[in-house]
Amino acid sequence: MEMHWHWLIVIYLFLGGLGAGAYLVSFAAEKGWLGKNSNLSRAGYYISAPVVAFGTVLLVFDLGQGLHKPWLLVRLLYNFGSVMTWGVYILSAFILIGFIKAFLVFMKKKAPTALNWAGAILALATGTYTGLLLWAVEAIPFWSTGIMPALFVVSALSTGLSATALLASVVEKGKASQGREGEAHLLLIAVELMIAITFFTIMLTGVKGPMGIQSAMMAVSGSYALLFWGVFIVLGLIFPLVVYILQFLQKRKSKIHSNTHSYVHIFSDVSVLLGGFALRAIIVLAALPLWNGLQL
Amino acid sequence: MNKLKKRVLISRRQMLKAGAIFSAALATGIIPSKLLFAETSQDAPSNPDKIGFMFNNEKCIGCRSCEYACKNTNEWETGAKWRRVIPVSESDSYLSISCNHCEKPACLTVCPAKAYTIREKDGIVVQDPDKCVGCKYCLYACPYHAPQFSDETGRISKCHFCKDRQDQGEQPACVASCPTKALTYGKLTELRKTPGGVAQIKGLPSPDLTKPSWVIIPKE
Repeated sequence: MEMHWHWLIVIYLFLGGLGAGAYLVSFAAEKGWLGKNSNLSRAGYYISAPVVAFGTVLLVFDLGQGLHKPWLLVRLLYNFGSVMTWGVYILSAFILIGFIKAFLVFMKKKAPTALNWAGAILALATGTYTGLLLWAVEAIPFWSTGIMPALFVVSALSTGLSATALLASVVEKGKASQGREGEAHLLLIAVELMIAITFFTIMLTGVKGPMGIQSAMMAVSGSYALLFWGVFIVLGLIFPLVVYILQFLQKRKSKIHSNTHSYVHIFSDVSVLLGGFALRAIIVLAALPLWNGLQL
Repeated sequence: MNKLKKRVLISRRQMLKAGAIFSAALATGIIPSKLLFAETSQDAPSNPDKIGFMFNNEKCIGCRSCEYACKNTNEWETGAKWRRVIPVSESDSYLSISCNHCEKPACLTVCPAKAYTIREKDGIVVQDPDKCVGCKYCLYACPYHAPQFSDETGRISKCHFCKDRQDQGEQPACVASCPTKALTYGKLTELRKTPGGVAQIKGLPSPDLTKPSWVIIPKE
């Protein structure tokens, strides 16, 4: 049987994660968790809500009735037992709070602590939801592990950090330092790599059955091998990992803090974004059902 | 000092153990409640009036009358095949499959729009295409591919067990058209007493997933 979730869903899951991650990065920076005077305390807020909102619009286009009978879309809110319904509530609330927060930041007004935290919790919920949506599908072995939300949340933070850093390098010129940005990058990428290795080991060793193996094989040696090795592993994880390890070692040695966002960093940030996108693409497109429904 | 070291070691080991158990549970996607309330597919249905299909693998000659009857009666939307007759290579036979009107329908659980309902009087899982938003989540959730998407109308539709025909005292179109009586239907409690009847043959998903309301009599 033909499966019907394609690129729009891939982009939607990617942007949902990125937007959520961006909010959390600026939230962390604002709280001082990323070091003193981090230059990331605003840029993430600017992109989070628009990015998630854009992804949600794409989702509407993917709905069979999105342009047909759009009034039916209110029904997305009906089933409180459906992960998708949870997602629609979470996304709506996050987009709303995200826009309010971005507006306040832009106006240089202080936002109430409750609003900041509500946004952070909703951001975490958004990132988790994108993975939970897939975990809930028992008929797709490649999706139905609790690793999915963990992998998506870490990737959300990582891509959110890269997107925020990229934007900050443009809008925050000459302002503040990079603080612990490099360490945060390093930690997230290392954790993501470990989760990814765990996930593919579990799939390839057949814990989730033959279709789990087949899905994973499509990624590591089948039709998505280039996307997997080239984009997700090398560009998305190994290259930035090397960049941030080198930077970390250098920083320890010289104790000099650089304020510039060098070309290497721009490359590695773009690289992380491509990797995060490739991950969503592989997970969605290599999903094979327990049974194909065509023969026995 | 030694004592302290020992204590630290043990706690670290316990940490690792707990971590390993936790990640193993995550990996298999097991939620503890699922283990506690495990049910088997052959239990009596919770609704005693629930009906289901019975398919005799031995009797089916692969004529596809059921498919055509279903298509004509229910006027399938383009691309939506409510019933399919598929080859079974193991026993060189056929399987006629539509919706299994499961007791734990995954489609109903995942559908955000509540387009799926279970009819109280006979347990038929009814999907209302007029309520469908076309998200296709059920397409992934159903292990039997019963929900079918039509690109033309942008919505899902599926077998409703010819509920309106049944209300008028008629048989479902597929059952009525089967020339060899390979496809029949009845109350699940009765069907499950059929000697040799099973809920799964080789290659089909485990019936524990959704508790399908069908009985297959496999060809030996």
